[in-house]
Formats: sequence, structure tokens, C-alpha cells
Amino acid sequence: MDFKNLTIKSFHEGLIKKEFSAAEITESFFDFIGKKDKEIRAYLSLGKDEALSQAKKVDSALTGKKDIGILAGVPLAVKDNILIENRVCSAASKILENYQAAYDATVIKKLKSAEAVILGKTNLDEFAMGSSTENSAFGATRNPNDLERVPGGSSGGSAAAVAADMAVAALGSDTGGSIRQPASFCGVVGLKPTYGAVSRYGLMAMASSLDQIGPIAKTVEDAEILFDAIKGKDPFDSTSIDVESKNQKSKIKNQNYCIGLPEEYFIKGLDKETAKAIDGVIKNLRDFGFKFKKISLPHTKYALSCYYIIMPAEASTNLARYDGIRYAQLKNLKTEKLKDVYFNQRSMGFGPEVKRRIILGTFVLSSGYYDSYYLKAQKVRTLIKEDFDKAFKEVDVILTPVSPTPAFKIGEKIENPLGMYLSDIFTIPVNLAGLPAISIPVKKYQVSSIKHQNELPIGFQLIGKHFREADILGLGKLYEKGL
Amino acid sequence: MSDFDKKTLEYLAELGRIKLAESEKTKLLKDLQEILSHFKELGKLNTDDVEPMSGGTFQENIFKKDEVIKGKNEKFIESFPDKENDFLKIPPVFE
Repeated sequence: MDFKNLTIKSFHEGLIKKEFSAAEITESFFDFIGKKDKEIRAYLSLGKDEALSQAKKVDSALTGKKDIGILAGVPLAVKDNILIENRVCSAASKILENYQAAYDATVIKKLKSAEAVILGKTNLDEFAMGSSTENSAFGATRNPNDLERVPGGSSGGSAAAVAADMAVAALGSDTGGSIRQPASFCGVVGLKPTYGAVSRYGLMAMASSLDQIGPIAKTVEDAEILFDAIKGKDPFDSTSIDVESKNQKSKIKNQNYCIGLPEEYFIKGLDKETAKAIDGVIKNLRDFGFKFKKISLPHTKYALSCYYIIMPAEASTNLARYDGIRYAQLKNLKTEKLKDVYFNQRSMGFGPEVKRRIILGTFVLSSGYYDSYYLKAQKVRTLIKEDFDKAFKEVDVILTPVSPTPAFKIGEKIENPLGMYLSDIFTIPVNLAGLPAISIPVKKYQVSSIKHQNELPIGFQLIGKHFREADILGLGKLYEKGL
Repeated sequence: MSDFDKKTLEYLAELGRIKLAESEKTKLLKDLQEILSHFKELGKLNTDDVEPMSGGTFQENIFKKDEVIKGKNEKFIESFPDKENDFLKIPPVFE
């Protein structure tokens, strides 16, 4: 059985038809991870015993002729900033190296009750701060398409695991593009749901007004299956919303469906190959009868500044909880005074990017600067959201690139934080406006059809109206099937 | 940006409870000055009559019954580095 090309859908069908057992496939994944992950380094920890016992449960349910759900036995990976009870959850940070989660995140509870198999926890930029997974305290993950390049970030481990066939699908989190940009760099599908569509209970908070959990998968169909499994209102996350009532079925009809192309996203700095790839997608969809309309999102150019004020402000506040006492403690740092515990633990425990953002966030919130930075950014955020509100009166979906370039080289941007931040300029506005968006691989550039080493995957982004995941997933599925 | 100097950096690091080595200070100062000068573009935008957007997308009051939901306290207590019964034990707060 070739487990490598399995999707959630084909796994489920194979399992029902008894072409293989869940335990057998789980074993194959662990064997393959044992070899392959030496070069990719997508996983931070594996949970073989739990995974196998879950897989066997599904197998015996099948033998007992019980009906099983679509996710039963499916081998998944989970980003290591999402809590799984009794498992280490490090957020790729030294300061939480020894932290064992005390409870399951709501999304994990949902996956467990859907009987999914969790293979392991994947690498990320420390506390999800970064765009390349190089900021992990435990070493960078490599792009499976070219080991010299980054997988993107911060959910780089999850995207690389799926792209390298080390998991059927995965969960990531997206604050400014952390699901979509690595999905694009690795050649897989990544969905950032509407703010509030998925509970964040048990997700380590980075920027609470922006964070969302979402799926990374091989197909749009799989992303939809995972999204359906994790979405919904949760009493433990007051920002979560009952999406069932808002998320109607997709009504995509090519003849009267209009796709917007924002002029601010097709800029000079856009890599030539990326521009060509996006043009190809537009042509495909046009040939199928979709209408396109040029639109303007005039405040786009302010999004990066707006985001890099709001996000560090919230992150510096959220990260105050890591004091070296409440969650875990680095060893051999005995001190007499409480204040010294904080200083020692945080100085040794946090990496450079985390320190940078804590200081930046503290600055924009500090007396005398609050109005000119933080309050200003919140007002600009309103303008960015209103741009989208206006645009969505004229179009149903917006199509853009995901990132200005394909995957860059390891080390290329790590010394230049502003340069690194710029790789998120097309994904950030979506989080500021709270919209759903998906990154889908452009066909010619998909992993399977890459002929030369220098041809890297490129994704395109579909942005939908609030709670209209059905629109972007529906259009994505049409594109995927070949229209 | 002129108002972000080494003294500001040291003060902010103190507030954030982070000790910085000299080499870290040099790098951070350069990075943060560059990032802050990028933010200057926001000053060009008139936002006088704009309401700030403070949260995520939808904000509505959430009401729930005032009931105790029993959590798994023992797991949280287990993870304390030092404890006495069910209490977290830390070095003295006042020096």
C-alpha cells in the first residue's frame, strides 16, 4: 500500500474497503518519518504509542462492523503551540522545553472524538513568531522541495510534514499568514478560517485579536473536512461563534460569480514567476466563465505597519505569563529573589525574535507613545477592514498572490527582520480584517509536477467574506478538479 | 527614529523583565530603529474621524450562568516547580 499519496478522503475509502488497516498505515508513517525527518526536521516530538493504540481502536470498531467517521484513523500532525494533554508543548521555545500540557485544546478534543490519529507535534517559529521556521529554538525545518530553502512559517513544520508525506494533513495557526505562507512555500493547501470560526482554547496566544487555528492538507476537499471537524462555538473561547448558522452552502455558479483582483496586490516587487503563476490561474478561471473585476483596497500599503504594531502589543502582553514559574522552569537557575527568577528565565528562555517583539510591543503601548502607535494602528485597522467591506459589495471572492516570492534560502532573511516581515504583506490584511482565506497550489507548480530543482511551488490566495468559507473552498475545489 | 535610543531600549527591557547582553542591545537597537522608521508612514494617514478597531471581527456580550465548572486543578498544580500542598511556592516578592 502506498501510504504517501493518501488524502483524508482516500484513506477513509481504503479503510472501509479493508485495503489496509489504520494500524498498518500508522506504522508505515512512523517508519517513513524515522528516515525522512532526519533531513526535513518537521517534527519536534512523536507520540507513537498513543497513535498506534488509537489506530487499533478504529480497526477493531471496523471489525465489529461499526460505522466510522471520515477522520477515524487518519494520521495527522499538530503544530506544537496547540495543547495535547500530558504531552510536552514547547511552542519551539526554550522557556517551555519542559512544559507538559494539563489539558486538551478544544480542537484536539474534537479530533480525538472524531477518532483521528495524532502522529506528533510539529516545529514552528518560537511562539509562532516568524515566517520561515528558522526562529525555532530546536533548529530550522527544511523545505521538502529544496532542502536549502525554508518551508515558510510559522507553521512550517506542519506544512513540511504534509508536503513530505509524513502526515495526511495537519493543524496550524495563522496570525498574519502562518498557515497560508508555508502552505504556499511547500505546495500544499492551507486555510485560515474567519476570526471566531474555530475555538482557540488551548492554543498558546500570540496576538489574540488575530490568531486562528486552521487546517493544512493535500487537497481543498481535505482542508474542508478538517475545518468542518474543528469549527464551532466553544464556551471556553468567548470570541468563538456558531458558524453553522452563518456558513451556508456555497452557491458558486461561474456565470454570475465575480472574482476581485486588487491592484495593490499586483505590484512591482512581485516575483516574475509568481506573477506568471497567478496569471495562469486567472486565465484558467476566466476560460471557465468566471467574471473578474479590478478592485482597489487603498489602505493595503499601511497593513504591514499596522500589523507590526498591533501584533507585538498583544504578544508582549500575552507572553507576560511566561515567568519561569507557572508553566515550566529552566533547570539550574536557582535564585533568591522573585524578580531575578523572571529576568533569568525570560532572558535565557526567549530567542531573539521573541525578545524583539516583546520590546517593540512594550514600546508601542508605553505612556507617551500609545496614541501615536497603538491607537493609530487600531484606527488604520478599521480602514483596512472597511476597504474589504466595500470591495465585497462588488465581488464574491478576492484572488491574490500569497507571498511576493516563492520559498527563500535558509539564512537569507534571518538577520533582517523587516525584510522577513515583508514576506507576509499579502496575508496580513486578511487577519486584520478577520476574513477567511485559503492558499492553494498553482497547478503547474505543484510538487508532483515539478521537474527541475529550481521550480518551486507557488500558491494563490482566495479571500472570502466573513463566515463564507464555503465560497473559497467551493471555488478552490472547482479549480482543483480541473474545472 | 531619534526618540528610540539605548536608554529607551534598556528601560523597555527592564519593563519586559528581560536582561540584554551588550551585543543583543546593539542588534536590537538597529532593528527596532529601522522598524519604527517604517511605521512613520502611518503618520501620513488622516484618521481623525475613524473609530479604533480593538478586537477581532465580531464583538457581542456573552452571558453565562454564574456556575462553578470543575476543572482539573491537580494537573496545573503538578506542573508547579515548587509547591506546598495546593499552593505555588515562590521566592519572596518583597525584598
